Amino acid sequence: MSLPSFEVVRPRTLEGALEELERHGPDAQMIAGGTDLVPSLKQGLFSPRVLVDLKGVRELDFIRFDREAGLELGALTTITRLAQSPVVAEYFPVLQAAAKTVASPLLRNMGTLGGNLCLDTRCLYYNQSAFWRESLGYCLKKEGTVCHVAPGSSVCWAVFSGDTAPALMTLAATVRLASPRGEREIPLRELYVNDGWVRLTKRHDEILTAVRIPLSSAGWKGTYKKLRIRNSIDYPLAGVAVAMRWASDGVCQDVRIALTAVNPAPRLVEAAARLKGKRYDPSLVDEVAHEAIRTAKPLRTSASTMEYRRHMVRVFVRRALNEVWANGPHC
Amino acid sequence: MGETTTQSSPIGARVPMVDAVDKVTGAGKYADDLTLPGMLVGKILHSPHAHARIRSMDTSAAERLPGVRAVVTGAETPVKYGILPVGHDETIFCVDKVRYIGDNVAAVAAESEAIAEHALRLIRVDYEVLPAYFDPEQSMQAETNLIHDDRPHNIEREYHHHFGNVEEGFAQADYIRQDRFDCPEVTHAALEPHSTLARYDAEDGTLTVWSSTQVPYYLKKTLAATLQMPEEKVRVIKPLVGGGFGGKSEVIPLELAAAVLARKAGAPVKITYTREEVFLANRGRPRQIVELKTGVTRQGKLTAVEARIIQDGGAYCGYGVVTILYSGQLLNAMYDIPNVKFDGYRVLTNKPACGAMRGHGTVNTRFAFEQQLNRIASVLGLDPVEIRRRNLLHPPCVTLNNLRVLSYGYPECIDRVVERSGWKEKYGKLPYGKGIGFAGSHYVSGAANPIIRSAMPQSTVNLSVDRQGGVTIFTGASEIGQGSDTVQVQVVAAELGLPLEQVRIVAADTARTPVDLGSYSSRVTFMAGNAAIAAARDAKRRMLQAVARAYGVAEEDLLMEGGRVLGRNGCPLSLTLAEAARLAAGPAGVLTARGSYNTPEESRGGTFKGAGVGPSPAYSYSAQAVEVTVDPETGRVTVDRIVVAHDCGKAINPMNVEGQVIGSVWMGLGQALQEVVDYENGRIKNAGLLEYRTASTLESPPVETILVESNDPEGPFGAKEAGEGSLAATIPALTHAIYDAVGVWIDTLPVTPERILRALQEKQQAEWKSPGTGARM
Ligand SMILES: Cc1cc2nc3c(=O)[nH]c(=O)nc-3n(C[C@H](O)[C@H](O)[C@H](O)COP(=O)(O)OP(=O)(O)OC[C@H]3O[C@@H](n4cnc5c(N)ncnc54)[C@H](O)[C@@H]3O)c2cc1C
Repeated sequence: MSLPSFEVVRPRTLEGALEELERHGPDAQMIAGGTDLVPSLKQGLFSPRVLVDLKGVRELDFIRFDREAGLELGALTTITRLAQSPVVAEYFPVLQAAAKTVASPLLRNMGTLGGNLCLDTRCLYYNQSAFWRESLGYCLKKEGTVCHVAPGSSVCWAVFSGDTAPALMTLAATVRLASPRGEREIPLRELYVNDGWVRLTKRHDEILTAVRIPLSSAGWKGTYKKLRIRNSIDYPLAGVAVAMRWASDGVCQDVRIALTAVNPAPRLVEAAARLKGKRYDPSLVDEVAHEAIRTAKPLRTSASTMEYRRHMVRVFVRRALNEVWANGPHC
Repeated sequence: MGETTTQSSPIGARVPMVDAVDKVTGAGKYADDLTLPGMLVGKILHSPHAHARIRSMDTSAAERLPGVRAVVTGAETPVKYGILPVGHDETIFCVDKVRYIGDNVAAVAAESEAIAEHALRLIRVDYEVLPAYFDPEQSMQAETNLIHDDRPHNIEREYHHHFGNVEEGFAQADYIRQDRFDCPEVTHAALEPHSTLARYDAEDGTLTVWSSTQVPYYLKKTLAATLQMPEEKVRVIKPLVGGGFGGKSEVIPLELAAAVLARKAGAPVKITYTREEVFLANRGRPRQIVELKTGVTRQGKLTAVEARIIQDGGAYCGYGVVTILYSGQLLNAMYDIPNVKFDGYRVLTNKPACGAMRGHGTVNTRFAFEQQLNRIASVLGLDPVEIRRRNLLHPPCVTLNNLRVLSYGYPECIDRVVERSGWKEKYGKLPYGKGIGFAGSHYVSGAANPIIRSAMPQSTVNLSVDRQGGVTIFTGASEIGQGSDTVQVQVVAAELGLPLEQVRIVAADTARTPVDLGSYSSRVTFMAGNAAIAAARDAKRRMLQAVARAYGVAEEDLLMEGGRVLGRNGCPLSLTLAEAARLAAGPAGVLTARGSYNTPEESRGGTFKGAGVGPSPAYSYSAQAVEVTVDPETGRVTVDRIVVAHDCGKAINPMNVEGQVIGSVWMGLGQALQEVVDYENGRIKNAGLLEYRTASTLESPPVETILVESNDPEGPFGAKEAGEGSLAATIPALTHAIYDAVGVWIDTLPVTPERILRALQEKQQAEWKSPGTGARM
């Protein structure tokens, strides 16, 4: 399979990158590590005329921890650096746990945080060669009119399959988006749209420049549980991130639970709020784990069955809560 | 042929492969690394339909595209071929019908890959879509729209064997068990995708093909037949091959397509499959449904076995007739079964053709049999190891279906695994969630009967000793990463008493090397190894004779050792190999010698229909214990440890044998837990290495290998096969361990977490209904 032909531009500054995006408009597409985009280009899922290569924009490659601003992560931070950062490990364990599970060591060396957050949604009927998709008659997400996992559906059910987004959502992270029109900062969860085709609220010419985690999220206990068949390489079939802050008496002060790979967008679990102000209680944990299933709507977009993926969301929520909470100071 | 060797003998030495350095440094060349001046890129147009008639085709737009140098279609290439003489049902490109999604419709040679891909999109094909068959049991009912007109009910072949009398056998049984096993299709997933470079020389009408093949000889014959050329004008060269596992053991469409394109374009053409095309070319292990019935006495002695086996072969025959026969014939030669019945159906469906894959035909039957035996042991309250010991063969013997077994290391394999694994302390005694399981398997050391029956030896090796004493082996045997070259160098060095470095090898080039049938059915060490020994002995005899003649001494007073010809019995002679070779070769020549191997008549089996498949000069045996942890809440299985004993006859290179055994176990592990070619309406949903999930290093447990040396009387230095026989046992040993851990038997592969959870649920429901019967047996 050959790559389609396109031009590559290599700006050195953010300003330069924005200029290129403005100049080429809808013909341009950004590339960072390329680990998500390049396979898709080969499959004919995108056909940009110009690739704006962000790797040269070194100002977007940083990890900064500031007593006031919190943690700031440049979009070009590789997943390997993220996973190995001592600050992340010490203050944001849920993020480290998630980063460590992304793809494989080689892909983590290439892949960036920005790319991980802007990952295209995935589906068995979409991530296929041009030959394959043509033989099936295409799908709702690309060139077709039918959703093969939910015939009759007007939305696309392709699944968001990134690992770091749910972890960052439990830490109330925000993202900065820069465009030729200026810059804005939005909560990470508002970056996503629960439709596999629309997927992001980010506009085509907006560059995700940085992720910020507020200081108030520092020190939260956390963990990430990932369902996959192989313990390396595989994308998540379901992912559960949990972060919690409890008082010295073990009372839960605040908690967030987020799910990935079971919806077109990573999503926070509302029912987590029930834990606030409570002491550890296994039946309460069970209740929240059970409720979490409501937030998970996996369809047949990947190898495993929907029932199993939902079952595992429940098991993971319970296990994750037990892990971060049951071993708290009260015991 | 077990001959004693000197201390420094390379037999039994842990030597690295002779091609290892080139592979590690990247100096070695695989087919896709090769280029020729003016080389074009070839691309194949594949069918988007599972079953359709080709009404018409228009290639004119593709032909007009600048940079396109040739377009070929089925009309130009109508000659039928197939690896088996009884299965010539393929053409290079489809002539009238397409039979699976991915079938080969046309091909283009162009100056770049992008142009070739563009040209494919310009080819217009008008299809009349036909009803298609995807499930073998439904396909067998077909009356109309047959996949091949001459195959009623879409049955490629059926066999009905009955040895002894199973009715009587079952009448003698105290316990009879019947189960249905379903093993889906799996594929080789060799890391190297298939690649072929072809050059046609119009001036002298010769064709040279470099290809990733396990069978250069059959490829040469098929190229000549399908391109309608004299065989002597075709030369096939096998460069390094990055794994075969059976996926390169028959002629693969790209090999013929590249050659036709090269001839038409008048320029060299290379085709390298995309990974998706590798899956479409397939030839993997077919889905197999086994309905198995076994009778035993109270003591666990087998009285009868009856198997009804259906294989989903896909759209073409390929090796299919052989695969279905192996699945029945090799029910035997493992245990002493007095009555055996086999009904086998090789069925056509509109999917990529299946073929030979490591453990060819035997794996899924072995899974079914060993699993059922373990279930029987558990019902009867017998130790699973003990029930096997009560049913051993007593070689030398000939089985009911005429398989001759001479060496039989299985009992020792069992004993050693039991001892090393701590079986007695563990089985049935580990805490809930932990388990250990046991099973055995076997395999042929080469098919005793060649695919094309003839009197020609199965392997021939030529040897030259140059005037400086350098030895060169010329062999047709195909190194595909399994150690073919290394083993031949070792046996020749051992016979001539030379260091390995003094022996070179030239292999798998049909213009320079004698005929060897190829790398399949684990035949190379046994057959090419024996031929190499014979060639070395021929060379040795010629040299000793020449020395004896020149010095007027008796031949018996000479021996060859440490690279010299020495006198003995008081004869003081001492010559270098070079001196001896010069004497043998005469004033100007090079000493040449030849050896060949053919299977002994007694090893070739019976005369009933289908008797030709299954017989082998020797069988390897394997026993395994697998330990697992099962999480009963998630259904996840972690394999903690595998102990395997493999009877390889004699480990000519223990390091290599261990590698082969571990590789087999690892493939069995993948098939047991996670591998499956996932079809939806004939379309493969996971035609890539991300979604077709072979085990990663993280799922690969420590494998402890024990090599059992039963010293086969006919094997080269006593050796038998090592590369396939240990695959099958891994699967039932693993499912047995799951049973030991959480009390459920899984009869459908792969054993996914979902399947385990479902089985646990059903077990729980059954226990609620009838309390007290759910105890672990
Ligand atoms: C075999 C395989 C397995 C994988 N497994 C996993 C897994 O388990 N978990 C997981 O999370 N991911 C997985 N991935 C996906 C990928 O490797 C990672 O998500 C990686 O972090 C993506 O980053 P990248 O820089 O390579 O993205 P790219 O491929 O460069 O970009 C991805 C997308 O994001 C856009 N983009 C990139 N940077 C920016 C930016 N700064 N602003 C705006 N848009 C941007 C691109 O335009 C593109 O659409 C896997 C990939 C492969 C090939």
